[in-house]
Amino acid sequence: MSPASSRTPFATFRDQYAELMRSAFLVDLQYRASIAIWLIWGVTEPIISLGIWWSIAAGGAVDGYTREDFARYFFGVALVNQATLSWDAWNIDRWIREGEMNHRLTRPIAPIHEAIADNVAYKTPTATIILTMWIIASLFWPAVRIPFEPGRWSLAIIAIVLAAAIRFLNGYATGLLAFWTTRATALVELQFGLSLFLSGRIAPLSLLPPRVAHVAEYLWFPYVLSFPVEILTGAVTTSEQYLRGFAGQAIWLAIWLALYLVVWTRGRRHYGAVGG
Amino acid sequence: MHLSPMPSAIVATELSKTYDVKVRDPGIKGALAALARPRYRQVRAVDNVSFSIERGDAVAFLGPNGAGKTTTLKMLTGLLFPTAGKAQVAGYDPWSGGNPFRQRIAFVLGNKQQLLWDLPPEETFRLNRAIYGVSLADYTTRRAELVELLLLGDLIDKPVRQLSLGERMKCELAAALLHQPEVLFLDEPTLGLDLEAQQTIRTFLGEYRRRHGATILLTSHYMADVTALASRVLIINRGRLLYDGELSELVARIAPIKRIELVLSETVSRARLEEYGTVAHYAPPRATLEVPRETATAASTRLLTDLDVADLSIQDPPIEEVIRIAFGETEQDAEEDTVRTDVQRAPP
Repeated sequence: MSPASSRTPFATFRDQYAELMRSAFLVDLQYRASIAIWLIWGVTEPIISLGIWWSIAAGGAVDGYTREDFARYFFGVALVNQATLSWDAWNIDRWIREGEMNHRLTRPIAPIHEAIADNVAYKTPTATIILTMWIIASLFWPAVRIPFEPGRWSLAIIAIVLAAAIRFLNGYATGLLAFWTTRATALVELQFGLSLFLSGRIAPLSLLPPRVAHVAEYLWFPYVLSFPVEILTGAVTTSEQYLRGFAGQAIWLAIWLALYLVVWTRGRRHYGAVGG
Repeated sequence: MHLSPMPSAIVATELSKTYDVKVRDPGIKGALAALARPRYRQVRAVDNVSFSIERGDAVAFLGPNGAGKTTTLKMLTGLLFPTAGKAQVAGYDPWSGGNPFRQRIAFVLGNKQQLLWDLPPEETFRLNRAIYGVSLADYTTRRAELVELLLLGDLIDKPVRQLSLGERMKCELAAALLHQPEVLFLDEPTLGLDLEAQQTIRTFLGEYRRRHGATILLTSHYMADVTALASRVLIINRGRLLYDGELSELVARIAPIKRIELVLSETVSRARLEEYGTVAHYAPPRATLEVPRETATAASTRLLTDLDVADLSIQDPPIEEVIRIAFGETEQDAEEDTVRTDVQRAPP
């Protein structure tokens, strides 16, 4: 009665991910109406920002940003934000508070893999919808067209994947604080508020007051939105800018990965001591 | 750390678990006082519990709410680590056994589900197949067997949210057994289920154990679960193991009684009811009689013939009652026998 499988660990792992993503996608399909509403909400914010900057730039460029630059920028924000969203803290909070963590802890796979699969299953189709909308819009509205540069687009894809990983680990690690406190999601809300300004969601970072922009540079926020968006729109041009951006992403990815590992190990021990 | 050859399936050695519980007086004043100066009370949920279970045995863990059953199960499944003592399950330390340990056990909680709520149970089965690395050939055979034994039929194609509680529990069991665990932990598997579903689950567990030699440790409130499944029982109350032995001995030790619960349509005096058995509870139109187990059916027939009865049911005495009878423990003893100690803590 040996439960051990003769397959390689990699084949088992690939199989686990395939099924985790499949079930996450099937669950998402059940909630397609809600997802459509979230998707509309997700693009509403950049559209409103674009509307405001569009009228501000009526009299001419703002700090070098023309109306067309703003249009491309906020289309980029809508796409990158959709591909890098993080809701995991709320899920973990529920798993821990309502005892749903227990069966996850008795399975031979760490709960984080379920969350990763869930993210991939949700973001791939929804970001594709936004990308399709962007392509359709660019047929009728030349302002939102971006030049065909496969090299740049490839770098943008890498930057988006890294940004998604940072935001995911950030949300997941913060959510795991629910092992100790009932206020973990409030911390996520706080970060969400800061990210409006510091990640470039309501305005390109170069338009922020210099002091604020300076503070942002020392945090992860610019690397999870502004940097990939500016690769897409063509604002990142020099190799130094690329290097700084990718180095920032690598550092913050390493930091959040380390924080996740610490919080997970200690949280699991704490949970083992006090229970759910 | 896989110990061999063929150790016992479960060994608990002087297991204890103590929690710090924040205490606060009621009301806003109490809440504010607790903020300023938190007080903790140590609650010993499990107190020095030792037992061992051989491979292939089925053992029932009995005790009232809050007795420490679930806490013990959580320690044996690696969810909680003991404050003192140690455990070995399927040859592993549950806390450090990692995935090889998790592959060998299943833990089913009657009040929490692992089935994907929005999808048919079949989807959870597929997911568990992949998570536990079960080959497709094994999956097909095991799934067919579980569907047959649990009478799942077309249930597995309906969304879980449309299933009844009993149907869901049957599917939970199937999902938990696809990887053919060596040791199965069941926490109140029949809680809240109708009689038919309870019966199906009991029959299934017995048959599954016979076929696969799985070790089963289950907790329950219901004597019927125990009689159907386990010859051996562990009785735990307020964290302490009070009894570890054959069920038949326990039944001999307690007064072997059944309870007849009555709802009467006419007024019947207490004295009149005494003719049929001991009146344990009398609050017209309801009454509860205690009668010897072997005469319960006869007494019920007489009651139904002689009196105008609106409703009648025959039940086992509740676990609390069994413990009280078996161990001669009164409410007052319980108070004196407290395992709780108040601990005053300095503010942080």
